Amino acid sequence: MGHDDKHVERQHLGPTTNIDKHASHGGLGIYMAVFVSLCILTLLSFLVGNSQTLRVKAPQVMWAAMMAVSCAKAMLVMLFFMHLKWEANWKYVLTVPASMMSLFLVMMLVPDVGRRTRTYSDDRWLHSATPVEHKEEHHDDHDGHTHDEAKPAADHK
Amino acid sequence: MSDHSHDDHGHGHIKLQYQRSLPIPNGKLCLWLFLSTEIMFFAGLIGAYIVLRFGAPEGTWPLPHDVHLVEWIGAMNTFVLICSSVSIVLSYEAAKSNSVNLARGWLAVTLILGSVFLGVKMVEYNSKFSHGIYPAAPRSLLHEKADIYYVQDVRMKLTAKFDALKAKQSANEQEPSKAPELTADEKTQLDVVTKLLDYVKWTETIASINPSTSRRHVAMERLAMSIYPIDHRHISAEEKHETIAKILKEEASEVEREVFAVNQQKADFVKTRGAAADKHVALENEIKVLTERKMKLQESPKPAGTTSIDNATSTTFVALQDQPAAPTEAQQIDTQLATLNQQLTQVKEEMAKIDADLAPLDSQVKVLDGRLKAQDVLVEAHGGLNEHQKWLRLPMMIPSGNMWASTYFLMTGFHAIHVLVGLIAFVLILPKQLDSKKAHILENVGLYWHFVDLVWIFLFPLLYLF
Repeated sequence: MGHDDKHVERQHLGPTTNIDKHASHGGLGIYMAVFVSLCILTLLSFLVGNSQTLRVKAPQVMWAAMMAVSCAKAMLVMLFFMHLKWEANWKYVLTVPASMMSLFLVMMLVPDVGRRTRTYSDDRWLHSATPVEHKEEHHDDHDGHTHDEAKPAADHK
Repeated sequence: MSDHSHDDHGHGHIKLQYQRSLPIPNGKLCLWLFLSTEIMFFAGLIGAYIVLRFGAPEGTWPLPHDVHLVEWIGAMNTFVLICSSVSIVLSYEAAKSNSVNLARGWLAVTLILGSVFLGVKMVEYNSKFSHGIYPAAPRSLLHEKADIYYVQDVRMKLTAKFDALKAKQSANEQEPSKAPELTADEKTQLDVVTKLLDYVKWTETIASINPSTSRRHVAMERLAMSIYPIDHRHISAEEKHETIAKILKEEASEVEREVFAVNQQKADFVKTRGAAADKHVALENEIKVLTERKMKLQESPKPAGTTSIDNATSTTFVALQDQPAAPTEAQQIDTQLATLNQQLTQVKEEMAKIDADLAPLDSQVKVLDGRLKAQDVLVEAHGGLNEHQKWLRLPMMIPSGNMWASTYFLMTGFHAIHVLVGLIAFVLILPKQLDSKKAHILENVGLYWHFVDLVWIFLFPLLYLF
């Protein structure tokens, strides 16, 4: 009987050996492919980030593109290097709630902190960090040459 | 039932079957639970950064170049971490297939790559520190706005440098044998600091007494611009410098016009004062003459008709008033003296008033001259005074700079701590026999290391490219 018990125990350990079999889904070929794609994606975000045209004309597009590239890289690392592709469904239990919590955290910060400058009064703006330009002071500007230095920053907005 | 009866006469206990909740080893489960908390930890940091960065007043968040962040170094570090991720995976694969030495080799490669990452990070931090970018005061030289506190801080830093150099100079003058002479470098430094102090004084004068709000702000912002120019246009450094030089030149010529106007005002005052001084001398002479006559009259009471300059008038007076001549003349002189003395006092007051008016004009010219003298130092400072004269280390105005420094150091710091922990784990594992029995250790450490890489994948574009 004792022998039978041991057998049962082994049966329950079974999945571990199964995982080992699954994990061998990796292999040098896939790792190299992932490595190359990661390098290409890094180069891509580097090029996007250094594109002056994008920065000036559509910074939002630039940011979105870089975040998308980052997400793609993160997915590659998680799926292949962290073997999540070959794991059982438990992976969702751990990753999905954590991701949702972090997303909520960011979204809850947005109205308070992220949009705080939307409701600033002129007086508040005067005491906050601003670019070299004084928007609210145009009316008491008697001498014409006082805004020379404000131009460089204004040009680039 | 049969089980039960068996147990009764057997060892007397129930065999419980161990059932895993998840089909993975406990160690791996724990690590994944840890990683899920880590996801939230870094998501919180990254989320806060995103919110702060986009919540900053538009156009103020410093670009990488403003804060001495080099994009390609960040990209290189990304590459290093990706390579280390591959090497740890290969180490795990080698351990699984019982190739102990290969596994150890790849682990060593990972250890080296991780160290390279930290080394590059150190170089990067150092370049921030050397430019005075720290997460907090008192070391931090960052100011958010060019306000009166900023100007004050600049003045205090300059004064400290000036005092130190002056102390050295006077020590040398007193005891040339003991204290060394100022080197040529120090002499130029003293010269530059003296000129800059004059410039700051000029700025402070405008900031404190100029009635126009706009003028006050412009003066302070130009000081900030001369020290650490922030120009987000995508043009060459030379073009940026030309823009600044142009502004400074215009300002200097404006100051020159002001000096001219003040000098003219001064000349007018001096002219009026000269006229008053002449009058003063004439009055004094007259008083002297009259006093002498009075003395003579008192010494010898003379008969009427004595020859004197005022004889004719006194006679007329006598004739009109029909009074004795001698006492009349004395009285008359007294009245005249009183009038003259009164006039003299008036002239003296006038002169004192002009002198009082001249004094502020003099100091005004002195302050304006200070601005003009500093012109050379300001115009030749390519890339700003802090860049051109590295020893100055003056406070810098970088809008949202403090927020940037806080978030940058916090996020990269936490990430670097994680890298360090990973490296320690590698060092501890390296001496072990890394065969298939120990492969699970490598798997777990690998998972952690991939997570560290994952965080950097998000940090790199956010910090270096946004």
